[in-house]
Amino acid sequence: MYKSFIISGSGGQGVISMGNALASIIMLNDFFVSLCSSYGAEMRGGAVNCEINMSDSEILSVRNDKVDYVVALNQTSFDKFISKVKENGTIIVNLSLAKVNKIRDDIKYISAPLTQEAINLGNIKITNSIALGVLLKVLGGFSYDNIKPVFEKLLKNKQNMIQKNLEALKLGLDYVLDKE
Amino acid sequence: MSEKELLKGNIAIARSALAAGCSCYFGYPITPQTEIGEFLSYEMPKRKLAYVCAESEIGAINMALGASATGAKVMVSSSSCAVSLMQEALSYIASDELPVVLVNVMRAGPGQGHIYPSQGDYNQAVIGGGNGDYKTIVLAPSSVQECVDMTFRAFYLSQKYRNPVILLLDGMLGQMAEPAIIKDNPYPETDNSSWVLNGANQRPAREIRSLEPNQNKLIRHIYEMNKKYKALEANETDWEEYQTQDADFILTAFGTMARSAKAVCNYYREKGIKCGLFRPKTLYPFPFERLRELTKTTKKFIDIEMNMGQMLRDVRLSILSNVQISFIGKPVGDWLSESEMIGAIDNIIKDCYANI
Repeated sequence: MYKSFIISGSGGQGVISMGNALASIIMLNDFFVSLCSSYGAEMRGGAVNCEINMSDSEILSVRNDKVDYVVALNQTSFDKFISKVKENGTIIVNLSLAKVNKIRDDIKYISAPLTQEAINLGNIKITNSIALGVLLKVLGGFSYDNIKPVFEKLLKNKQNMIQKNLEALKLGLDYVLDKE
Repeated sequence: MSEKELLKGNIAIARSALAAGCSCYFGYPITPQTEIGEFLSYEMPKRKLAYVCAESEIGAINMALGASATGAKVMVSSSSCAVSLMQEALSYIASDELPVVLVNVMRAGPGQGHIYPSQGDYNQAVIGGGNGDYKTIVLAPSSVQECVDMTFRAFYLSQKYRNPVILLLDGMLGQMAEPAIIKDNPYPETDNSSWVLNGANQRPAREIRSLEPNQNKLIRHIYEMNKKYKALEANETDWEEYQTQDADFILTAFGTMARSAKAVCNYYREKGIKCGLFRPKTLYPFPFERLRELTKTTKKFIDIEMNMGQMLRDVRLSILSNVQISFIGKPVGDWLSESEMIGAIDNIIKDCYANI
């Protein structure tokens, strides 16, 4: 079993936190995991992304030519990373900030107005937790009860944010997805 | 303390340094290693340890020299173009026989270059950029767990041999997160009471300096240092071998490139092609002897690096003349992926195998 992910968006959308949460969930479920984040100039320029690998054996190559899942939180990310999705892979698109331009017919498109959903829940900052919920739903194999302790641990210094993020995660996990 | 955690390479180094008993840190921020200093700037004052953000890298490494002379366990961290500034002091530290750990999280050069990951400082670390007959021990981790293990080892070796140790890794490993475990320091403490400058109360005065106007004394000093290097080479050389025993060809690589190279090995083994991997874990002392031994049974070597061929020189020096050595690399700053390696290797070995 080997799965790879790219999460991408602009600085402030919580891309790195989301990558960190996903990698922690993978680790605490006893899989091997690696997390590579963009750093420095890329971050200052606005675009942020991270690449995650999940495997049941030691992860040797940490950088992939193509990945199984791309999460694009804005238009720039969608345009940049759609070519990085493997054949039969999936791209999850934030409809609030990106249009789904189906230039490939060999991949699955999953879309939801993630930013709008976060605003509806009362905090735009939890967009990433909704996105993570959606990603984990698409990925399968992880339940809410399974993920909750990881969130509580990651946010132990931000107690006031735990409840909202869990709500967001649940919303993502329960989201009725348009399978396009 | 021995719980599996998701750790960045940089944080793993900083945490392990504390666990190894590092009592003084000197540095100046530079991407891609700034997290080391950032983390220690919070943690060291809390523990009443010395953290100094120096005015420059030259300041930082010279502060390390001074602190180390008093018996403190000292670490300095920086990156490529800023490590260049420290070369003069490294030569002094080596001649003064002081234990200093220097972490170089490599970025792209030459000159200012940029922050992209690189293995471009192999030559600088291994051959040295300072003057005179000195050597620095160089350790090259390839995973976050090895960042932990080799930080402990760096402190231990620096104390044991009274010599600077460079922990050499590329920016990607510094920035990458993986599960790792930080255990207690596995190495014994080294007794430094015979040389530290801790006040001459009740004992004869000591001095530590590299200046030696007496020719005979200077020559003796260099012979003594050289003895130490011979001991290092005999006792501390370390490497990893992977499926080398029956290999038709062997890949040589260090650091993160060796991980991808291992994946490449698995790829060829699955196709029934006998590929092996040889990874030096100590770049100085370099495992010349073992590599030379392997050339008796394997006649083709492919060196892979994220630079234009620096360790290649040491691989060539190891190897007997009737062996073919090829090189795969890209300029510093450009990550060499598994598929690129396979493409390049296919080209090199295609004459020998019908099934690629």
